Amino acid sequence: MEMMPGQFMLGKLDDVARWAQASSVWPLTMGLACCAIEMMSVTNATYDIARFGSEVFRASPRQADLMIVSGRVAQKMAPIIKRLYDQMADPKWVISMGACASSGGVFDNYAIVQGVDTVVPVDVYVPGCPPTPDGLLYALNLIQQQIRQGGRGGILAKA
Amino acid sequence: MPSSQAPSIAGTALDPTAVRPEIADAEIFRIERGELRSKLTALRAEGCSMLLDIGAVDYLAREPRFDVVYHLLALPQKPAGVAEVGVPRRVRVLVGVPTQHPQLASIVDLWPNADWAEREIYDLYGIVFEGHPSLRRIQMPHDWEGHPLRKDYPLRGPAREATPRPAFALKSNVPAGAPPDGKVAAALQKQIARARGQAGPGEKGP
Repeated sequence: MEMMPGQFMLGKLDDVARWAQASSVWPLTMGLACCAIEMMSVTNATYDIARFGSEVFRASPRQADLMIVSGRVAQKMAPIIKRLYDQMADPKWVISMGACASSGGVFDNYAIVQGVDTVVPVDVYVPGCPPTPDGLLYALNLIQQQIRQGGRGGILAKA
Repeated sequence: MPSSQAPSIAGTALDPTAVRPEIADAEIFRIERGELRSKLTALRAEGCSMLLDIGAVDYLAREPRFDVVYHLLALPQKPAGVAEVGVPRRVRVLVGVPTQHPQLASIVDLWPNADWAEREIYDLYGIVFEGHPSLRRIQMPHDWEGHPLRKDYPLRGPAREATPRPAFALKSNVPAGAPPDGKVAAALQKQIARARGQAGPGEKGP
């Protein structure tokens, strides 16, 4: 994009659309375990996820673009997460936050799903137990980067 | 653990005939399965108005294998004065339940809050409460097979138990029983010395 002497900008529609989409990735209000505490803290003034346009945690999957799987997924919860993911409108992204969501973590037992990627497709994994809020913000940045480059799920990406 | 490998339980805590230590705050009764309802009905009539919880224990090698434990509370009858403290009466009732036919009478009609507690015990231990209005699983998914808190239930679940665990999961950072590494121990000593305001070994004093 370039600035013209008058009060307007020129750019490709692709770039403008992707810029708008990357700046409004709305997460789903869904906390599963202790990682959710760190997820909540990204909305506070110290970390301020609003800088990236993602402060609007939507209570309905119909209005959400991003699912943050923040914590261990119980076997009983797995079909519910799948259902929420299916209810989200395309394009949509998933962040697997923390060791438990990514691999089961310390819970190598009958009750916990060993990695949420066995249930829904994951775009970014955030390591940590729990990850710092910065880690989650970085994951969001990676998704924004993906969108700006017209990657998977981009507004003009080919299916 | 198969019971053939189990050591003798005579005189141990697993022994159902063993005398339990006196616990100051609770009366403990061990009763037979058949007298469960009559005993609990009597206790309720005596003033145990509250069923705090129902617990279950799997002793595996023992027969009867399970203990179901009822925790009852009788609130103080008269309001306590300024100078005294009302003392509630606490009662614990233990019932043994055998491996074969693990059944027990339901007490939902005596204390309605027994409903979910009995469902939980059914879900996790497979003890069937006869007369329960709706004995369904409460914590595990409804189509789950097995009762996970039984001691012979594989920790990682029947499906995954056979798959080997990754090597890193079996490896400890520190060999069992090893003394602290020299470097680590020295650093620790230095840290302690510094905290005490003294010079550590090899360090010059202030």
